[in-house]
Amino acid sequence: MLAVRRAAVLFAVAAVSVGCSSSSTSTSPAAAATPLTVFAASSLTKAFTQIGQDFHTANPDVTVTFNFGSSTDLAPQIQSEGTADVFASASGTAMDTLQSAPGVTDRTNFATNRLLIITPPDNPAGITSVNDLTRPGVKLVLAAEGVPVGDYAREALKSAGILAQATANVVSNEDDDASVVAKVTSGDADAAIVYTSDVASAGDTVRSVAIPSAVNVVATYPIAVVDGNAYPDQAKAFLDYVVGPTGQATLATFGFGPPSG
Amino acid sequence: MRARLPVAIVALACVGAAFVLLPVVALFVRAPWSRLGEALSGVGASTALRLSIEVSLAATTISVLIGVPLAWVLARGEFPGRNLLRAAVVLPILLPPVVGGVGLLVALGRSGLVGRWLYDVLGIQLTFTTAGAVLATTFVSMPLVVLATEAGLRGLDRRYERAAAAMGGSPWYVFRRVTLPMVGPQLAAGAILTWARALGEFGATITFAGNLAGRTQTMPLAVYEARQVDPGGAIVLSLILVVISIAVLVALGGRLTGLR
Repeated sequence: MLAVRRAAVLFAVAAVSVGCSSSSTSTSPAAAATPLTVFAASSLTKAFTQIGQDFHTANPDVTVTFNFGSSTDLAPQIQSEGTADVFASASGTAMDTLQSAPGVTDRTNFATNRLLIITPPDNPAGITSVNDLTRPGVKLVLAAEGVPVGDYAREALKSAGILAQATANVVSNEDDDASVVAKVTSGDADAAIVYTSDVASAGDTVRSVAIPSAVNVVATYPIAVVDGNAYPDQAKAFLDYVVGPTGQATLATFGFGPPSG
Repeated sequence: MRARLPVAIVALACVGAAFVLLPVVALFVRAPWSRLGEALSGVGASTALRLSIEVSLAATTISVLIGVPLAWVLARGEFPGRNLLRAAVVLPILLPPVVGGVGLLVALGRSGLVGRWLYDVLGIQLTFTTAGAVLATTFVSMPLVVLATEAGLRGLDRRYERAAAAMGGSPWYVFRRVTLPMVGPQLAAGAILTWARALGEFGATITFAGNLAGRTQTMPLAVYEARQVDPGGAIVLSLILVVISIAVLVALGGRLTGLR
């Protein structure tokens, strides 16, 4: 039975390798610098990676490490692990969770995002408007309920009066906006609803179709320093940098709107 | 008289056992027992469980059907690149499953190497379908039955096969009536490992087949999605998988690990 035992060992190896899928990126591994940890919504991945590099250039004594994920996932992670110095959320609700425990300081809105429809470049289902999402057979991908962009998308479909018909076309509920975009760039989904900022990041691998402002949803992004963190001064400095002119200019480059709306 | 185990080894073994058991115990402790039924229905447990069983059994069946011949070729075939082929067969075990999912996507997705042809010529799209979930699961779990069966074939006393052949048995007859029964235990253990791995498959499935209740949302995917809206429900779903796994282990006794 040695062979079977060997198979069991391989099985154990396989089981271990399953667990490694967290996405964190470090801007620079400078040794003596203060290691600031920022938990941010996955829609901020590209913009914040850039801002983190710029911030480090301006403040060489601080390195910023990001943990990007769904805001709804990140808030409870911060609550239970307490490793975040700053939290930048894609929804007020996720920030509210954190505000109740362990508490946050300097909470302020720093960006807005809107929704649009994306299709593969060749637009196989011929989507040209929101109402086309109700056509039978359209393979629509949304973020899952509970994920901010998923909830916003359903809100917009509801405003357009097509929630039931459109969700009947949903072929997958993804865990975050990056996964939603991936299903379209691979060419497998006909359409998806994501943030404007996702398209700025995706370039010409997707084609975008506007959602009229009457039914569109404006997602407001709050940022705050997490209470009880290790580096409150550096955390405040990063927050100020995001809210300040350089941070705002970078966010605009990546498709985000100003916090006022 | 039994030899006494060194204290240091026992102490480290206790740490090891606690490390493995703690998360399972924590799941039981933190489960929302008071609203178990509500949590179960809220997260669509029965739909996900039924799909999980269907997908894992289908994946196991396919794995045995094509994996056992593959094991036979690896064990008995003499051809250049055999070791390379074996390495390739083992690869899905070592790869992060999400990498397998991405590979399947560029191979069999609607715009993939082969998938494009499947879609254009036959009108078949595997992504977002239960068949796609079975495919992704099979990709990840099949190597286990291949490895176990190949090892069994290599350990076989070939005189029985030669005797059967000498008495006029056709190669197919010898394979069916002599070889297969003799590697039966290894094949069965491999198939059970494959099934257990299939039941827990997550990364390749969500990457290739997506996540839709009743179609591609197996138990692990349901656990993942439930965390967002109902952490208690996620624990309940996790517990179901834990209970099933324990039941299988108990039913098999030591057979799964080769100790009995």
